[in-house]
Amino acid sequence: MTAMAAIALSFTMTSCDDDDDDEEGGGTTIGTVTVNQDITEDTRWTANNIYVLDGRIKVRPNVTLTIDPGTVIKGEDGQAADATVLMVMRNAKLMAVGTADRPIIFTSVLDNIQPGQIESPTPNNLQGQWGGLAILGNAKISSGTLDPNGGGFDVDQIEGVPSTDTDGLYGGNNDDDNSGELAYISVRHGGTVLSSGDELNGISFGGVGRGTKVHHIEIVANADDGVEFYGGSVDVDNLLVWNNGDDAIDTDQGFSGTIDNFIVLGPEGSPMELDGPEGDDLGNGDHTITNGTVVASRGANGPNAGDLINFDDNTNVTVNNVHFTSVVDGQVINPNDEATNVATITNITIDVPAADIPNYISTADPSINANVSAGTEGKADASMFTSWSWAGVSGAIDGL
Amino acid sequence: MKKLALLSLLLLPFLAFAQNGIIRGSVIDSQTGEPLFMANVIIKGTTTGASTDFDGKFEISAAPGTYTLQFNFIGLTPTEVTEVIVKANEVTVVNSVKLVPKSELLETFTVTAQVNRESESAVMMMKQKSVKMLDGISSKKMELAGDGTAVEAAKRVTGVSVEGGKYIYVRGLGDRYTKVTLNDVRIPGLDPDRNSLQMDLFPTNLISNIVVAKNFTADLPADFTGGLVNIETKAFPDEKIMEVSLGVSYNPSMHFNSDFLTYDGGDLDFLGFDDGTRELPSNAKNPDNFPRIIIDPEGMKDMTSQFDPQLGAESTTSLLDYNFGFTAGNQKKLKEGNDSPTLGYVFSLNYKQSQVHYDDITYGEYQRSQDNTENELVYADLQKGIQSAQNNLIGALGGIAYKTKKDQLKFTLMHIQNGVKRAAIFALDQNTNAVGKSGYIGESDNLEYEQRSITNALINGTHTLSPDLEIDWRVSPTLSIANDPDIRKTAFTFAVDTSFQAGNAGVPIRLWRELDEFSIDNQVDVTKKFKFNEQDAKLQTGIAFLYKRRDYEINQYSLRFLGTQNWENNDPNEVLLPENIYPDVNGEGTYMTNDNNNPNSNAYEANAINAAGYISGEIALTKSLRSILGVRAEYFNQKHTGRDIAGASGNIGGNVLDNETVLETFDLFPSVNFIQGFKNDLNLRFAYARTVARPSFKELSFAQIVDPLTGRTFNGGLFEYPPDWDGDLTSTYIHNVDLRFEKFMERGQLYSISVFYKKFIDPIELVRNPLINTSFDYQPRNVGDGQLIGVELEIRKNLEFISPMLMNYSFSGNVTFVESSIEMASNEYNARLNNARVGEDIEDTRQMAGQAPYVINAGFEYGNIERGFNAGLFYNVKGPTLLIVGTGFVPDIYQEPFHSLNFGCSKIFGEERNIKVDFQAGNILGDLRQEFFKSYEADDQIFTEFDPGRSFSLGVSYKF
Repeated sequence: MTAMAAIALSFTMTSCDDDDDDEEGGGTTIGTVTVNQDITEDTRWTANNIYVLDGRIKVRPNVTLTIDPGTVIKGEDGQAADATVLMVMRNAKLMAVGTADRPIIFTSVLDNIQPGQIESPTPNNLQGQWGGLAILGNAKISSGTLDPNGGGFDVDQIEGVPSTDTDGLYGGNNDDDNSGELAYISVRHGGTVLSSGDELNGISFGGVGRGTKVHHIEIVANADDGVEFYGGSVDVDNLLVWNNGDDAIDTDQGFSGTIDNFIVLGPEGSPMELDGPEGDDLGNGDHTITNGTVVASRGANGPNAGDLINFDDNTNVTVNNVHFTSVVDGQVINPNDEATNVATITNITIDVPAADIPNYISTADPSINANVSAGTEGKADASMFTSWSWAGVSGAIDGL
Repeated sequence: MKKLALLSLLLLPFLAFAQNGIIRGSVIDSQTGEPLFMANVIIKGTTTGASTDFDGKFEISAAPGTYTLQFNFIGLTPTEVTEVIVKANEVTVVNSVKLVPKSELLETFTVTAQVNRESESAVMMMKQKSVKMLDGISSKKMELAGDGTAVEAAKRVTGVSVEGGKYIYVRGLGDRYTKVTLNDVRIPGLDPDRNSLQMDLFPTNLISNIVVAKNFTADLPADFTGGLVNIETKAFPDEKIMEVSLGVSYNPSMHFNSDFLTYDGGDLDFLGFDDGTRELPSNAKNPDNFPRIIIDPEGMKDMTSQFDPQLGAESTTSLLDYNFGFTAGNQKKLKEGNDSPTLGYVFSLNYKQSQVHYDDITYGEYQRSQDNTENELVYADLQKGIQSAQNNLIGALGGIAYKTKKDQLKFTLMHIQNGVKRAAIFALDQNTNAVGKSGYIGESDNLEYEQRSITNALINGTHTLSPDLEIDWRVSPTLSIANDPDIRKTAFTFAVDTSFQAGNAGVPIRLWRELDEFSIDNQVDVTKKFKFNEQDAKLQTGIAFLYKRRDYEINQYSLRFLGTQNWENNDPNEVLLPENIYPDVNGEGTYMTNDNNNPNSNAYEANAINAAGYISGEIALTKSLRSILGVRAEYFNQKHTGRDIAGASGNIGGNVLDNETVLETFDLFPSVNFIQGFKNDLNLRFAYARTVARPSFKELSFAQIVDPLTGRTFNGGLFEYPPDWDGDLTSTYIHNVDLRFEKFMERGQLYSISVFYKKFIDPIELVRNPLINTSFDYQPRNVGDGQLIGVELEIRKNLEFISPMLMNYSFSGNVTFVESSIEMASNEYNARLNNARVGEDIEDTRQMAGQAPYVINAGFEYGNIERGFNAGLFYNVKGPTLLIVGTGFVPDIYQEPFHSLNFGCSKIFGEERNIKVDFQAGNILGDLRQEFFKSYEADDQIFTEFDPGRSFSLGVSYKF
C-alpha cells in the first residue's frame, strides 16, 4: 500500500511561494520552496530559491539530487523522531558541489541568511534546531548485524532515525561505492536528539564508500557530533567543526577512510572520539586522521572540550601531525597502554611547556609519550577555509 | 455449654421482654456446592423458622437462648446444627450448612455450630464441587493471614505468583495470559504496557473473596489462558459490621531514613492526586504556537518561566507507613415475617500512606564481547543510586442491595485513588568500549509522579422466575485514569566542564503522560435447572457486550541551552533560575522546546467491542460423572486512530490510521469439563478449551513510543520489517488441556495433583530490533509456535495425624512446575548464531518469555479459634523467568527467584471479642530483587537490583 502511494504522489515539491518583496542577491527574486516529500526522481535545487525541508526527506535509491552552488537549504524545526533530515539512501546520489565563493548552506529556518551570504545572522552557538544530513552507502561496516535480506554483509540503522523507518539502513560490501559529491558545504544549527545517545550529527556518514568525494566541509553548532563515520571508506579533505555539543570527529564500526586537513574549535565532547571495529571485525577499520589543529578551549567563546583524543581498546587509527592549543587541566589524550594499544600516534604537539606534557596524556607509556611534544604551531592549513566558511569569514580561525 | 443452656432457660422469663436476637445463615448442596433455594430451617421444638432465598440464605428472629436448628430439603438428609447461641440484639451466623444426599444409613446428620463454623468455607466447597477448576481465597483467610491488599492475598492461591508487587500471574504464565475481573465484569487496567489489572490497588477490606478459574468455560470471557482472577467486593454482610482499623509498618532500611528523596509536589499529594501544581502550562501544548528562540525571545522567556523550576531531588526524613480503615454494613428486614424484603448496605473506606526507599538501586545494560572467544559480559551503561517513593492510596466502596426471596438488586460504587511521588538520584557510567557507546560519566535527578484511579459502578440484578429458572444481569461502567504529570529527568555529563550533552547523558527532559480508559461491560446470564439421568442438570446461556475506549498521549519537552554551559555546582535546581533563562544578560541561556508533532505521533485513541454469546450445559452422565459442555462465540473488533512520525509530518510513506479496524475476528471457543467423583471425597477432572490472547491497543498500532527515562522505544506491531516481519500482528490462539486428581478431607484438608498442557499458535512476544545498535527498540510480533506442559501439586494438611497435640497446626503448600518452549523466529536464531561464543550450542527453541519454570507457595499455620489466636509462616518463590529476549550482542535478561518469607499472627481480645491485634513480618530472609543478564559461561550481571528490606507491621482493629 505504501509503495503504491509513493508512486501516485511522486512529486517533490508541494508548495511554491514566491515572495516578490524579498529581493536580494543582486536583484534576482528569491523564492521559497517547501519540500515535504521524498525525492523520487532526479532533481535539481537552484540558488534562486530557498529550500525549506519539512520532515525526514529521503533521496530514494537510483535518484540523484543536484544542488547548485550558493543554494540555501533550511530545515524546519521538529525535535526527537520528528526531526527534519535530508537522508541520502543507499544507491542514491547527492551532488552538492559549491565553490570557494559560493558555498551551499544547510541551516535552520530560524536563520535568516540569504543566498549570496556566508555568515548567518544567528548566534554561532545555536544548536539543535533541526536534524542534519545523513549519507548512507554500500561500503563495509562492522556492526555485527547481518543483512536480514541475506546479503551476507553487515547492515545497521542510522542513528537519529527511528528503526521503524527501514530506509535508514546502511552498509554493504562495496568499499568503492559512490554516493555523489559534497564540496564547499556548511551545515549549521542541526543535531536533534532521538533519544539519549541516539542523535543526528551535522553529517552522518553511514557506510559511505571511497567513490564518494567529500571536501571543504564546515559544521557549525551541531547539538551532537560534527561528523560521524559509521564504517565505510570515504576520504574527507578540509573539514572544519565549530561549536558543537558533543564530539567533533567521531569514527565507529570500522571506518577505513582518511581525514586530511581539519580544524576543530572547542566541542563540548571530544575533538576526536575514535572507535575501533564493532561486532565482528571484517578486517577493515584502519583509518587515518592527519594534519589538524584543535582549539580545545575558547574561554568565553565556547566550552572546554571533554578531552583531547578518546580511543577504544581496539581503535586501529593513525593520528598524525595534529596540534592542540588552548588546553586546560583535565583535557588528556587517553590512549591505552602499549600492551593493548592498536592506535598509532605520531607528531602530536600541545601548546604547553615541555615539562607539562605528561599532564595531558593519560598513560605513562613511553612509546606514546615520545610522540607527543611541546609546540605552538598549527598543523592545519587554515587558508583552505578562509573564503567560504562561516568560521573563516567571521575571523574565528584567525591566527591558526 | 450445657450450663449456659440451663442458665438461659432459667433466665428466659426475665428476658421475654428483652430484644430478640437474629440467626442468619446459608444452606448449600453438598453435591454441587451451590446454594439451596427454598430449604426449610426451623428452630427445633418450635414452629419458628424460615425458608432460604434463591441465594440459600435465611434469617430467623429468636429470643436469646441456645437452640438447635433443623434443616430440611426434599431428597436430602435432614441436618441439625446444635448449640446455636442467640444473644439479644446480636446476629448469630450459621453459614454454609451442607445438606448431603439421603442415605439409608443416616436418618439425621448432626453437627455443632462450632464444628460447622470450622468446616471448609464456601470457597473450599466451591473448589471441591464445582465442575470448573477453581481455586480461591476468602476474606476470612485474608484476615487470618493479615493481607493488606488483593495482591498479597492472591499469592496464597495455588499457582499464583506476584509480579512487581502489583500484578498476578497464574501458573507462571505472563501478564498476557492472565485476566482480572471485578465482580465478574471486565474492567480496564491502568498501565498502558500491561494487560492485567494492578491488584495492589484493592485493599482487602473491600474484598469478599478472590477466585481463580484455571480453565475456560463458556460463561467466561475467552481471552485468558493461565487464569481468570475474579475479585468479588463485599456486598451483603451477614451481621452488622462497624469496624475501625489502624496499622503502622516499619522497615528499618526505609523508615526514619534521612536520605529519603522527595520534591515539592502539590498540596493534595497526600490524597493521591495532583492539585494542579504539575499541570502542563496551558499554552505549551500546541507545538505550532510554541515560541521560537531567536525569533521571539520574550515569548520564550515567558514560556520557559512557566515550567516548574524544581529539577533536583532533595533529602528529607521518611516516617512510618500507616493506614486506617473503616467498614460499616448491615442488613435489615423491611417488614416483619419470613417473606419480607431485606435491604443491605456496605460502606468501606481505606487510607494508606507508605514510603519506599532503596538506597542502593542499580540498573545496568550489558553486552556480549565483540570477541566471541570472550565469554564475560561487557558493561555498556550503569545507573546506581538512591530512589524513594511516597505512595498514597484511598479506596472507597459503597453498596446497597435489595433482596426478596426471589430477586436481588445490587448497586455498588467504588473509587480507588492512588498517587506515587518518586524521586531518584543516579550516578551514570557509560563504557566507551561498548558497542555504540561513546562513554561518559554523569549524574541524573529523576522526579516523577504517577496518579492512577479507577471508578467503577455495578448494577446487578438476579431474578428467580421459578425455582428452576434464574436470570442474572449486570451493567458495569468503569473509568480508569493513569496520569504521569511532569516527569523530569535532568542528567549532567561530567567532563572538563559539567554540562548537559545531547550525545552523552542527554539534555533535561520533561514528560506529561495521560491515559484514560472507559469501558462498559454488559452481561445477561440465564440458568435453567432440570433433571437429566435423574440427576440435577443445568443449562446456562447468556450474552455479553463489552465496549472499551482508550485515549493515550505523551507530550515531551526538552531543555536546551544557547551559549556555553558550565554548571559548576551540578545543582539541577540552578538550571531554571530566572537569571539563567534565555535571554539572559548575554542573550543566551536555558530555554524549552516542544518536542511533539501536531498531530502527536505519540498519541492514540483506540476502541474495541467484544460481543459474545454462549451456551453451556452441565449434566451428570452417570451418578458420579458430571460434565460441562459449552461453546462461546465472540465477535471482536478493534479500531485505532494514530500515526507514526512520518504520518504526523504528512510525508508519503507515513502511516496514519483514522478509526480504522486493526483487528476483526469472529471465533467459536469450545470448552469441555468432566468431573468423575469416587466415593465422596475423590475427584478426577478433565478439561479442554480453546482460548485467545489478543494484541493490546498499543500493540496494534503504528505507535513509536520513546521512553526517555530508559531510552527504549516501543514500536507498534503494524510496522513492517521485511523480510523478518510482515506487520500483520494477529491474535494468539491457545489449546488448553487439564487433568486433575484431588482428594478432599474434613476441615478443608486436601491433596491434589494436576497436569496441564497448552499449545500456543502464533504467540506474541516483544522482539528487539537487532538493526539498531545504540538504542533498544522493541516490537510485538507473532513468533514461532510455543507449548508448555506443567504439573501442579497442592496439599493442605492438618498436623493432627502426627500427634493430637498438633491439632491446631496445619501445613499448606502448592508447587507448579512448567516446561515451556517456543520456536525461535529465524532472525532471532540467526542473531544468536552470529553472536555465539566459542563452544556455545545454539538451539532453535527456548523458554517462553515471561513463563516461570516453577512457582512455590507454602504455609505453616497455627489456628485456635477459641483462644482467638492465629499465626502463620508463609513462603513464596517463582523460578528464574526470561524477562526480555536478547538478540545479537544483547544477552537474555532473567528475573531471579525472590525468596519471600513472611510471618503473620493475630490475637483477638476483649469480652466481646471485638479487638484484634495483628503483627506481620515481611521478607524475613532479606532477599534482594534481582534481574540479571545471563550469557554462556559468563558471570550474571545486573539489569535491575534493589533491596526491599525487611518490614514489620502492627495493626489494631476494633468492632463496635
